[in-house]
Amino acid sequence: MPFNNALKYIKRLYTEFMVRIYDNPPKIFGFLGFIILSTLPFMMETSVLRIFTTANILAIYALSWDLLVGRTGQISLGHALFYGAGAYGSALLYKYLQWPAWLTVPISIILCAMIAIVIGIPALRVKGPYLALLTFSFPLAFEGFTHYYSDIFGGDTGIRPIPKFYSGLGYSQVLIANYYFALILMAISAIIIYKIATSTTGITFISILDDELASKACGINVTKYKLMSFMLSGMFGGLAGAVYAHLIEGRVDPHFISTTLSIFPIIVTVIGGLGSLYGPIIGTYIYNLLDQYVFISIIPLDPSVRIVVYVAIVVFLIIKWPRGIARVIVEKLEDLQEPREIEEILKGKKEKLVKTHASA
Amino acid sequence: MPLLEVENLTKRFGGLIAVNNVSFNVDEGEILGIIGPNGAGKTTLFNLITGYIKPDFGKVIFKGEDITGQPPNKIANKGLVRTFQIVRPFRHLPTIANVLVPLNSPRGRKRIEWVKTPERKAMDMLEDVGLSDLMLEPAENLSHGDLKRLEMARAMALEPELLLLDEPFGGLNPVETEYMIKTIQRLHLDGHTMVIVEHKLHALMKLVKRVIVMHYGEIIAEGTPEEIAKNKKVIGVYLGRAI
Repeated sequence: MPFNNALKYIKRLYTEFMVRIYDNPPKIFGFLGFIILSTLPFMMETSVLRIFTTANILAIYALSWDLLVGRTGQISLGHALFYGAGAYGSALLYKYLQWPAWLTVPISIILCAMIAIVIGIPALRVKGPYLALLTFSFPLAFEGFTHYYSDIFGGDTGIRPIPKFYSGLGYSQVLIANYYFALILMAISAIIIYKIATSTTGITFISILDDELASKACGINVTKYKLMSFMLSGMFGGLAGAVYAHLIEGRVDPHFISTTLSIFPIIVTVIGGLGSLYGPIIGTYIYNLLDQYVFISIIPLDPSVRIVVYVAIVVFLIIKWPRGIARVIVEKLEDLQEPREIEEILKGKKEKLVKTHASA
Repeated sequence: MPLLEVENLTKRFGGLIAVNNVSFNVDEGEILGIIGPNGAGKTTLFNLITGYIKPDFGKVIFKGEDITGQPPNKIANKGLVRTFQIVRPFRHLPTIANVLVPLNSPRGRKRIEWVKTPERKAMDMLEDVGLSDLMLEPAENLSHGDLKRLEMARAMALEPELLLLDEPFGGLNPVETEYMIKTIQRLHLDGHTMVIVEHKLHALMKLVKRVIVMHYGEIIAEGTPEEIAKNKKVIGVYLGRAI
């Protein structure tokens, strides 16, 4: 029996450890969320469905940004570079080689990884605001290229049309298929990112965020890990861009590398919670619902006014809940659970005390 | 052959000579103490040895290999590990994950025997310094004394051949100091070689057989604790009397 108890204790410690290591709420939330989201097509009208389809793909993009900024602490203000590179890479492969989307998307993800390495080797030597400025310049340069080499990139018109992932479905069927495609892709990406974040590699990422010098003293090759997170982040960013181009837009244009897209993950991640798994996802849902439903149907606002509202929300959240909405919800849920546990522990201790007194 | 040889190490910051022509050896299995008033260049000396600062002149030879100017992570992977004077925990990580970071370095990964998982080994390291109760607590909630011990556990996870401790007793209360002395004594009995920089002479003198005294970047005296305590130059430096 003591052996069994020891086993239970170790098991509990381990789960507690895994839960707390990133303040990630238990997996059950993710599972329940997935179930609710997968029943959405039966309950919601098509316009809402379309919002959630884009939200799911943009959530991958937000997660990719968070993997770099929220975990390793390398601030990137130009993540649209990867989003655009993924989309343009895939579109160019179709334009010149006529390969199907199933093939061009994975290849453009690998391309994004290579871009991340080539840019990261010099760029990650600078820190903080300097890195932010440097990364900010990359998508601007890319946008310039698309205009300068307009015979390749298509200038303002971009490259259109590019093929969809599947054909031969009716209008409403395509909508539902797109929705599930995006949802499952987001779930898979989130699981992969969760696995990376809770591995020893993920712990090392956080150690670099917390204290680079101490990380070096621990024998960690900081540059290598920074580059690794930059590369992983670029790959998921590229995936989001390429899938968005093929699945929803059916074309690529300079909007894919616009500054708005570089700013988007910052707003979304601050709303949801930096350095967490559910934060960027929940943040993206909130943002997309506001942007494409609330500010169009309920309170009509001009896009240029909306950005002021988002900034106001971000400022409010940074002051009130700097750790984001997702974490606040989780903490509230944990608070409901914890007092009972503490009481039980205290009870156990009291009994022990009584026993020792009795034996003495 | 000594484990660590420092030859004529010199570092200037502008017009200030922080470390001036310092040479000394550390033999295997010994504890060397380095003392000196504030600003004597002790921490700079550590930074020079562990690669955080590149020296203007001089050599650092570890196990017969010239390691001068190599990056800190490479030097740590060779088995020359340091702690910091001001604690530098990974604040967002739980205590145990702090110890998992060194175990993820090339040297750390090699030292995990195949029966153990990194988590198991990290638990052992924390038990050695008496932190196993706090292992799931985020490091930002730990007290200063606990953080000093965590710093120690993190360094020990790399199984160093030479451990450089920068003021291990700094900011500790008498009880914590006593605990830290015992920990260091146990490590010494296990055969670990250490260099300790310290202000608290009382605690240090219990541990070491050989002391180096630094003043304005130079070594002014070397000898056993008894000799140092009687040395007029050292007394002058510490008490401010005329030399």
